[in-house]
Amino acid sequence: MRQVRIDCMYEACPIPLLKALKELEKMQVGDLLIIESDHSCSTINIVEWAKKQGHHVDYQEVGEGEWEIYIEKAR
Amino acid sequence: MDWYKKIVKEPWPYWVGGILIAMVNVVLFYFTGKPWAITTGFLYWGAGLLQIAGIDVTGWEYFQRSEYLEVAEKGFVSTHYTLLNTGIILGALLAVLMASQFKFKKLKNRKQFVVALIGGIIMGYSTRIAFGCNIGGFLSAIGSLSLHGWILGFSMLIGAWIGSKILFKYLI
Repeated sequence: MRQVRIDCMYEACPIPLLKALKELEKMQVGDLLIIESDHSCSTINIVEWAKKQGHHVDYQEVGEGEWEIYIEKAR
Repeated sequence: MDWYKKIVKEPWPYWVGGILIAMVNVVLFYFTGKPWAITTGFLYWGAGLLQIAGIDVTGWEYFQRSEYLEVAEKGFVSTHYTLLNTGIILGALLAVLMASQFKFKKLKNRKQFVVALIGGIIMGYSTRIAFGCNIGGFLSAIGSLSLHGWILGFSMLIGAWIGSKILFKYLI
């Protein structure tokens, strides 16, 4: 299992989502993608999108106004 | 504190925001006679600041066709747009402060700066040519049962589609 971390700090919609999409395409099933973001919308739109795609997804606030979103590629 | 987490900390679902915006927009329309719009306020401020800087815009054809001449007489600051736009900024500030998610955001790099600047200029220019942004020209227009809201919405859809293709292919 590989772990990839992408830096989406200071970036607004839809950049974090598109970056995640681009990165996931290069990854294998079972790999974990960690998205660092300080854009609150990302916790909605990335999580919603990942769920729709059937990936395992979760997020947590790691600092004030900063989140990490975890996506495990499922297919 | 469960309610704190749900109401203050976590983002609200889109449909809740939608209903609230619609309700506030109706109240605003009732009291001011105009549905919600944003960028027209920027136009009046921009034109007003140019006037202060000594550039007379009242002779420009664009402004002669708009309500700006009446606004300029009363002073460009004293419109309901100024109050509304300031309210949006203060309200957003209050929301992030209550959720303790306030953060100063830096410019990531030079590319972000340049792209954002160009994007901003294109957006600002377009809203004035289309006489409205996604609020005044789309949301409030559709709410007022005006056809131009649907045309703007459909065009925005095409623009957003092309924009995300360009973004995905060349910019990220």
